[in-house]
Amino acid sequence: MEVALQAEKPGISTCWREYRPTKKSPWDLRRVVHLHRRAGFAATWEEIQRDLQEGPQASIDRVMNGTTCEKTYPEDFERMSASIAEAAVRSNQPERLKAWWLFRMLFTTDPLTEKLTLLWHNHFATSNQKLKDLSLMRQQNDLFRSLARAPFGKLLIGILHDPALLLWLDAPSNHKVHPNENLARELMELFTLGIGHFNETDVKEAARALTGWTVIDDRFSFRASQHDAGQKTILNQRRAWKGDELVELLLDQRGTAQRLAGRLCQLFLGEGAAQPADIDALADGLRTHDLDIDWATETILRSELFFADQNIRQRVADPAECIIGATRALELVDPPPQTIILTDWMRQFGQDLFYPPNVGGWNGGRHWLRTSALISRANFATGLSRGQFSSTQMPPNWSDFAAKHGRSSSPEEFVTFLADLLLGGEPNPGWIEGIVNSVSSNSHSRAAVLQQAVAAVLASPEAQLN
Amino acid sequence: MLTRRQFLDTSMQSTSILSLASSIPCFLTRSLQAAETKTNNGRILVVIELNGGNDGLNTVVPFTNENYQKYRTALRISESKVLKLNPEIGLHPAMKDAAKLVEDGRLAVIQGVGYPNPNRSHFESMAIWQSAQQNPKAHGGYGWLGRALDQKLNRNQTFADAICLGDVDPPQALRGRQATQSTIRNLAELQLDSQSVNADVGSDENTADDLLQFVRRRTVDARDTVERISKLNHASQTKTRYPQNGLANRLKDIARLIRAELEPRVYYTVQAGYDTHINQEFDHYRRLSAFSGALNAFLNDLRESQLDERVLVLVFSEFGRRVAENDSQGTDHGTAGPVFLAGPAVKAGLHGTHPDLTDLEDGDLKMTTDFRSVYATVLSKWLAINPQSCLQGNFAAMDLLQS
Repeated sequence: MEVALQAEKPGISTCWREYRPTKKSPWDLRRVVHLHRRAGFAATWEEIQRDLQEGPQASIDRVMNGTTCEKTYPEDFERMSASIAEAAVRSNQPERLKAWWLFRMLFTTDPLTEKLTLLWHNHFATSNQKLKDLSLMRQQNDLFRSLARAPFGKLLIGILHDPALLLWLDAPSNHKVHPNENLARELMELFTLGIGHFNETDVKEAARALTGWTVIDDRFSFRASQHDAGQKTILNQRRAWKGDELVELLLDQRGTAQRLAGRLCQLFLGEGAAQPADIDALADGLRTHDLDIDWATETILRSELFFADQNIRQRVADPAECIIGATRALELVDPPPQTIILTDWMRQFGQDLFYPPNVGGWNGGRHWLRTSALISRANFATGLSRGQFSSTQMPPNWSDFAAKHGRSSSPEEFVTFLADLLLGGEPNPGWIEGIVNSVSSNSHSRAAVLQQAVAAVLASPEAQLN
Repeated sequence: MLTRRQFLDTSMQSTSILSLASSIPCFLTRSLQAAETKTNNGRILVVIELNGGNDGLNTVVPFTNENYQKYRTALRISESKVLKLNPEIGLHPAMKDAAKLVEDGRLAVIQGVGYPNPNRSHFESMAIWQSAQQNPKAHGGYGWLGRALDQKLNRNQTFADAICLGDVDPPQALRGRQATQSTIRNLAELQLDSQSVNADVGSDENTADDLLQFVRRRTVDARDTVERISKLNHASQTKTRYPQNGLANRLKDIARLIRAELEPRVYYTVQAGYDTHINQEFDHYRRLSAFSGALNAFLNDLRESQLDERVLVLVFSEFGRRVAENDSQGTDHGTAGPVFLAGPAVKAGLHGTHPDLTDLEDGDLKMTTDFRSVYATVLSKWLAINPQSCLQGNFAAMDLLQS
């Protein structure tokens, strides 16, 4: 069996073997919740039950083909999304464009693609701080989405012709006579090879190869008169490099595949779950699959490693996972939340969409847990549990929510349900009892106890892990 | 002096929203130690990071130098506008407040500060300045101040050993093996929703899970921070007028925290936007003006509270910029640049030598002072910390401070 799998996927180390439920690692609530929190923005109770029934193969098929989330948006999602985006761009209010993206994350049936779109926003971190052009930011975001799961070469070529990125990295100032190194450096350091795989001469020479790539009337344009057609030595190869050839050269380097493999493991796997040899193997696989992101994503999501104990609940939940995940899982979508309010929570959690902190993007991981962000996470939990972000601002009826899913409103049973829904079960012994004690001692009405239980669960250290 | 019981009583009373009773976290025991030790006379270091690579050549300007005039045409600062420090060197015209501070004996300007084999990547060079390590393998590790604070652990840990204020990731400079840091965006964001209920976070002993332990500790630290800041809300507001800019707001908050006698000895904040590849003139003017105005107000504010004698400010950037301007009225990544030390404790005026503009390396300045000598000075002469292990090498201290 194992040999056969190895043969199916040449060059893949054993950890990337396909997960099959066993006695030791069964297809259970814990793994279903894990799949949805990692590959998407959490799941509703119905989706969890469906996947428990259908098994890993079908559940991951759904994640991959964009049918994992039950349709919750009553109208034509894509049409509504487009009209929100257009209105946001017309208004020239960045908050509205951020709200558009959160609307997508919240109501899409294909959260994996939104997650990868966010990954690319971080990888090619472009800030509207400098650009001040929502139309271009939206255009770039759509590009990330449409090529999010394509072979990386397509995405890279796409982004290097993207006006927002070129303006962000000063490509129009990169002339034959006075090269501007900004684009060339970040192309090598951040987008492809990574530090240590090139030197300062490579940067200077690559900048020359990219001369003439510019933006005219918000479109990519090549100005031959500004291009330096002379000989350049890049990565020890001397020739009259042109920009396109440089891109091919970089795509062909092992460092690029390595960096992509690392990025994807960072996104989908917990801290230290993948060993360097596993990342190497994934990089090898990427190289034999034309750097296909979809292939690598599927390989990770179907793997034994993905469902291994050391990978479960071993990653700091990022801001979108917390905010969108809690809103979806708790079914606070009808009436829909005011996404413009959620954008400010994203900022307070440390991920101000379209405004990454610098060209390197957000560090992620443990960096999300800044003091101010942790306090904001607690305050968000309180606000969400009280219905403060919904358009009606009505407090949710948590008893009804429990009853809908066949649970009683006793504090113990309700907290147990929240643990199942949000964490895939009680994270450690005594945890449910601790939450119940802390909320029932200082509250009066049953409604208040349940509301505080929601807040306490969402603000708990365990809920900050995915 | 507070007894242990009194201390715990006051802590618990003021945390009615924080139900910590079931586990007494380690910060409380640390707080107890701090409360029992007079720590208020300690010296404080405030670090300002100019992020993006400040154009040192147009900050501390060799305005009479022929080569300066040759390399800088669009961006040249003329003799008539420069704020002269001596017949050859002057400050950028936007830095009037800084020039006043020099005159007033409160600002030292160290010229040509850098390190051998300069790196022009923002991240790599910043990592070198923050870690004080040139070996890239050491860059993921501890920072120079984190290592320094590790040496002084038992004293000043009530809040955190260091505070970073602003919308940034925790700076590596503050990362230590045991030393803790709190990063705070602004003081207003450090209040809990009045409806919050915080359950017991669980104790460290309960788990071998390193990541979960990390989150629990961060949660406890965050709650501790909330409580301390809420006590500051009624602290008297300053009379000093600060200019309207982000750095000024952050320095004003830092002054409040210092006035509130919080124990951290190190504060850190960032002014971003120095990556001036294009149309530098206006941007650079605005940033330097904001910077010097904010610094001046901060020092005056502390003087008004009679706290300035305890505070030293260190200002650095990850690199200077290329000597020759580029074709887009901007400058590309370069090497050495000036470092500032500010406060009444400094020996004011110019220190070190300006890099030679006739002796460039790949079009960049050769540094004349190693940044680790400046750090060694701050560590040994200001914080009384042995610099050798913090900098992992011997760097001579300089004559920058009043004895």
